[in-house]
Amino acid sequence: MLADLAPILAQVDVREAGQGATTCVGKNEGFCLDYVVDNLSDYVDPTLEHAFMVIVSVLAGLALAILLAIVSHRRNWLVPVFIGGTGVLYTIPSIALFLLLLPITGRGTLTAVIGLTLYNLQIIYRNAVVGLGNVPGSSREAGRGMGMTGRQLLWGVEMPLAVPEIIAGVRIATVSTVAIATLAIFAGAGGLGEVIYNQGVQNGLFKTNILFASLLVVLMAIAFDAVLIVAQRVLSPWRKVRTI
Amino acid sequence: MPGQETSEGAGAVSVRFRDVTKRYPGAETNAVESLTLDVEAGEICVLVGPSGCGKTTAMRMVNRTVEITSGDILIGDTSVRDRSPAQLRREIGYVIQQIGLFPHRTIAQNIGTVPGLLDWDRSRIDARVKELLELISLPADVADRYPSQLSGGQQQRVGVARALAADPAVMLMDEPFGAIDPINRERLQNEFLRLQAEIRKTILFVTHDIDEAIKMGDRIAILREGGHLAQYATPSELLMAPADDFVEDFVGADRALKRLSLMRVADIDLWEAPLAYVGQATGEVRAKLAGAEVPHALLVDSERRPLGWLSESDLRQETVPQRPDSSPDPILDLDDVMRDALSDVLQAESRYAPVVDREGRIAGVLSVEIVHEFLSSDEAKVEEHPAAERPLA
Repeated sequence: MLADLAPILAQVDVREAGQGATTCVGKNEGFCLDYVVDNLSDYVDPTLEHAFMVIVSVLAGLALAILLAIVSHRRNWLVPVFIGGTGVLYTIPSIALFLLLLPITGRGTLTAVIGLTLYNLQIIYRNAVVGLGNVPGSSREAGRGMGMTGRQLLWGVEMPLAVPEIIAGVRIATVSTVAIATLAIFAGAGGLGEVIYNQGVQNGLFKTNILFASLLVVLMAIAFDAVLIVAQRVLSPWRKVRTI
Repeated sequence: MPGQETSEGAGAVSVRFRDVTKRYPGAETNAVESLTLDVEAGEICVLVGPSGCGKTTAMRMVNRTVEITSGDILIGDTSVRDRSPAQLRREIGYVIQQIGLFPHRTIAQNIGTVPGLLDWDRSRIDARVKELLELISLPADVADRYPSQLSGGQQQRVGVARALAADPAVMLMDEPFGAIDPINRERLQNEFLRLQAEIRKTILFVTHDIDEAIKMGDRIAILREGGHLAQYATPSELLMAPADDFVEDFVGADRALKRLSLMRVADIDLWEAPLAYVGQATGEVRAKLAGAEVPHALLVDSERRPLGWLSESDLRQETVPQRPDSSPDPILDLDDVMRDALSDVLQAESRYAPVVDREGRIAGVLSVEIVHEFLSSDEAKVEEHPAAERPLA
């Protein structure tokens, strides 16, 4: 019952922020735990949206990066081209990138996901190239000498051996995407950025929302990273996982 | 199990180089210069020479990891040019110096690589892996370990097993023991020779180490810079009659001793010593001494097992005494490597050493003179042993 009332109460609280100088919310003096507990359900959707954007853009970035890595594999001259190209994308300030995309893809999650994907590309691609480069030459020679085709060598030997490096790249990309996705609000998408800006910064600099949404961002980054560490371990059982 | 092959399954085939030349793009000279060479079925042919002599290039043209510029290589009756490289390579075992096990695959998966490429079914691959682990004397429980959990020597054995997995008729081995420490290398060489005695593959073996070549080769092809074949001969031919200064230089100044390491004591005509038994009249013994090859009498027991040499004073007695003054040491074995036997004789500062058969009975006497005579006579051509049957020094 309380949960049903929460949104209404929250609005009341926010409206009263300027007047009721006696409550925590009214004084806006920092993190108001009671407010968060009362309005917990308000944070569920933004959190899920945020996680969704991160997952989709990391997966898309991973797929694109691996595609680029395969294209530049055994065509070494392409590697600096791709690193340069993805590097240029990486240096565009994120807010600017979202704004640049708006006229093309319009406001919404799609624009945010495209932007975030472009950021992931550089990190994951770089790691994929390093991973493929680290495959021992002797494994490659033995595979070729035993009659593996180029494709069998790539998918049976080189890619599996590059997995630890690729996942290391995915970990870095994921953590940074969790953070950058808070700016997706400028692309017209939701996520925890909405809590921070619309319900925090724009709402009389309501500190509780800003702090709690930031906390959720940090927790989400930690949670994703934990999942990826497990994935790294499961997908590369032949080596002791290096935790960076 | 139906369709399962034993390690002796496929008959070995010959490998023939026909005027094979290789020039790498952009190179000024040929890496291999019209090489013609026959490797008979079931033989180990060692390609040896200084670095840059084209030995590895020559070997790698067999499985087309290096393409032939001109000429041809026949495996059995089929030109390697008529086969697709991938198909060809699956039928040729390949062992490289860096071993090249796949770090992310278990030992069983590594060994099963080529059978997997050939689409064998699971149970057949499993059975083959088990059989091969036995063949290379590794415990069955290494099957599920990863290469990094094995020692270098074990990894090299797995590398050999992996090359043997689909029972290829031909094996290429590129300095397979080059990265192993000397003690383990010798063990692996011996193990491999014992294995080869069983499997009888046609093997091309590359090394830069002439001692390894002499030890492992049924025939040795010595290549010189520019990929010219300097000599192709059996190890003892090579040591006895180097074709030119280059070969003579390459085989080394100690080639006489190297020849001795290729032989067993049984390979040489031994001398006979007059035998004496305890209690025998010394007159009889002295009569035998006259005109004997060995000027000393050897005391033996009733089973003709050597007990010792008789001295002058022993023979001045009425009958042959119970205890001789000198021991019969060193006692050599017919199976001993000649080089070690000679070393024993020299070390004991004795001129003669009794040689016994497996039962310990006297078979003859080896002397420094016999070895000397053998080495200095031109036609002293020993019967050549296949590498796999040679004494394992």
